Amino acid sequence: MPLSGVRVIDLTDERGIYGAKLLADLGADVVRPEPPEGDPLRQRGPLTATDKATEASLWHAFFASNRRFFTLDLGTASGLEQFDQLLLRADIVLTCDNAFAVKEADLAKRSAQRPELIVIDVSSFGTSGPWKDYLAPDLVAGALAGAAATTGDIDTPPLKGFGELNFMVSGAYVAIAALAALAKVRKDGQGQRAEISVHECIASCLEHVLMFYWYAETMQRPEGKVLPRRGALHWSDAYAVMPAQNGSIMVTPTPDFDTQLMWLIEEGVQEDLIDPKYQEPENLRLRVERSMQILRAWAAGKDARELFLQAQERHCPYGWVLPLEAVAENPQLAARDWYRKLTINGQTITAPGAAYHFSNTEGEIELPLNPHTAAATNAAAILSDLGWSAS
Amino acid sequence: MSHDNRPLTGLRVLDFTHVLAGPFATRILADMGADVVKINSAQRAVGAQDPKHPYYLMWNRNKRALALNLTTDEGKTVARELCLQADVVIDNFSAGVLDRWGIGYKAIHEHNPQAIYVQMSGMGDGGPWSKFVTYAPTIHALAGLTHTTGVSGREDIGIGFSYNDHQAGLHGAVAVLAALEQRHRTGIGHRVDISQFEVGVNFLGPSLLDYFANGTTARPVGNDLPYDAAVPHGCYPCKGASPNPDNIPGLGERWIAIACMTDTQWSALKAVMNHPQWAEKKELDSVEGRMAHKQTLEQHLGNWTQDQEAYDLMARCQAAGVPAGVVQDGADLLERDPQLAGAEFARPIEDVHPELGPTWSDALPIHFAKTPCNQYQRVRAIGEDNAAVLQDWLNMSAAEVAKKQTDGVLE
Repeated sequence: MPLSGVRVIDLTDERGIYGAKLLADLGADVVRPEPPEGDPLRQRGPLTATDKATEASLWHAFFASNRRFFTLDLGTASGLEQFDQLLLRADIVLTCDNAFAVKEADLAKRSAQRPELIVIDVSSFGTSGPWKDYLAPDLVAGALAGAAATTGDIDTPPLKGFGELNFMVSGAYVAIAALAALAKVRKDGQGQRAEISVHECIASCLEHVLMFYWYAETMQRPEGKVLPRRGALHWSDAYAVMPAQNGSIMVTPTPDFDTQLMWLIEEGVQEDLIDPKYQEPENLRLRVERSMQILRAWAAGKDARELFLQAQERHCPYGWVLPLEAVAENPQLAARDWYRKLTINGQTITAPGAAYHFSNTEGEIELPLNPHTAAATNAAAILSDLGWSAS
Repeated sequence: MSHDNRPLTGLRVLDFTHVLAGPFATRILADMGADVVKINSAQRAVGAQDPKHPYYLMWNRNKRALALNLTTDEGKTVARELCLQADVVIDNFSAGVLDRWGIGYKAIHEHNPQAIYVQMSGMGDGGPWSKFVTYAPTIHALAGLTHTTGVSGREDIGIGFSYNDHQAGLHGAVAVLAALEQRHRTGIGHRVDISQFEVGVNFLGPSLLDYFANGTTARPVGNDLPYDAAVPHGCYPCKGASPNPDNIPGLGERWIAIACMTDTQWSALKAVMNHPQWAEKKELDSVEGRMAHKQTLEQHLGNWTQDQEAYDLMARCQAAGVPAGVVQDGADLLERDPQLAGAEFARPIEDVHPELGPTWSDALPIHFAKTPCNQYQRVRAIGEDNAAVLQDWLNMSAAEVAKKQTDGVLE
């Protein structure tokens, strides 16, 4: 596996746990210590719909995949010593400020003692500045960093993305920071700490938002430097979700307007789009606007699935808007054997696959999907690794 | 001797990517010191591939520009020679394009077994949809992200920017770095097939598990948490909208996000509001009670916030321990945000673009303590680095470069 043999201690909360997941799913040995009362993230829904005694957090099963869980009692001398020995064997420590055991880890001291150690520290807003102690769950983080202002429509408030989309951005940066630092260690043995602010991470992934501000003169938009939320209409005006029969569909006349126009002509619904004025470069916005009007009326009478498949046959990048149950049954994912089987507290269910397919000339490298377990299940093996008796 | 101590200094990346997802992956690698050589051509330099287009300017800093006419045999030969020298070859074409040019993984691996290949196609290599053409809005739609981000009982909305393109880029960078570690251990460069669709579907992981375990189908929930109880948890209007002389819908509005994740935070919010009568009802003390009266509570709260100034309210909420944040737009981020200013997040690029004038960069949000990555070079014109790249990578003489230029190979 790509990260076999890399030892990681996962001291993250929601803001960084996706980064630890990415490393674990690539084969790193990721140990996630928990307090004796259990990881609070094990309470996050959705839960398995079983009785209280055996219910499990599916949120935790996803985000804490492929971990080894270790109950750590920091109130005891043996707990502190076990933690000390875990940290002594780690290549990488991932932290979020105020998460479990981060303070006790005393990573400044450990970094001084072990120059090869990599520590990635996640905070909401960095370690200085007037907002450094602000509380920012995913909704607030996305609001302050610019994501919410672009999402939603005029008849709705600004919206957050479904689930944990903002923290999945900071999480991905955590994995990048850890692995880039590891590449540096492999080169010259020099480990280091790196700080990651969730706020900066989200702000770095807003596509057009900063571009509109910096290059407003070039963009020449009536809105000026800021584009307000506008429902399902893309900033370019050339992609929009449109109602169709039996669903809705994302429709666009790009990247090849002529291919789309030919299709409309074939169906006799081109209206005035063949007017040469639309071919003039200075009328591009007009052409986009008129195309979208015609496409909206045209799509309304089409079956969403059929229209999607016909569009893709013509290399038009339409997207059928799928509800979750259709994603679950998607033929492309099925053909690629993407879904896998995951055992959670003894119950085997279908689970999302990995975001990567690694292979060499001999074939695909299988990435792990280890059973997901209750807190202390892995303690004996971890203690054994540390030279301790499980008793 | 180079004094560049960034983590990826010395890593040679041959970049065949375009639009956003791929270029964002290689931008991150370039920011961390990799020598990223961006392949472009005069033929392909239209729209988002035009180095003068703002979209291109956003994602292609810190890279060197090599023009290569891949419609010519000699252009393909140069590409092959470059692949033989590369640590990483990355593209986000549909599956199979590099193979058709004779520079796919298998063809190169035989001669350069250390080369890592990362292919970031829309649908992945294989399966009935593998040749489908996708952009981020396509992926959002197919992956369930458009359906779930929105408001129940209303037309679909979806995410207001190309979230999945950025994430595919981030995952592309993770793939490169993981493959580097694998190569360090095994000596072998691997191929990584990334389907941007699978990246997107992955973001609904907990909901998919819920579907498979419990048969529950996720639906849009606005600003609520889909599975956990937190009330209030939403965006509420504030006073102080900016002038909007052209009456562009939504422009200049002021909103604040407030998220009471605990009863204690709700109690603190009541104190910030000076304990209005409506909030003092006993049944609102518990989250169950607030869930039961969510609509009324949010209406009252919105009525109250609309008389508050957003930044001031945020500060008062946060001082009281209530998670709250102004819904900031691009201008707020770049003009008012003290955290981004303190981190020098937005930076004018020192090397002024010879044709475009000033250009800007948003800094890499990873702050390495010993090897800071704070070098930002402007976007290069097509072929601007032809001679330097071919000299560095292939030891090609100036005369050879000039001949290839004349022959139309490097354009």
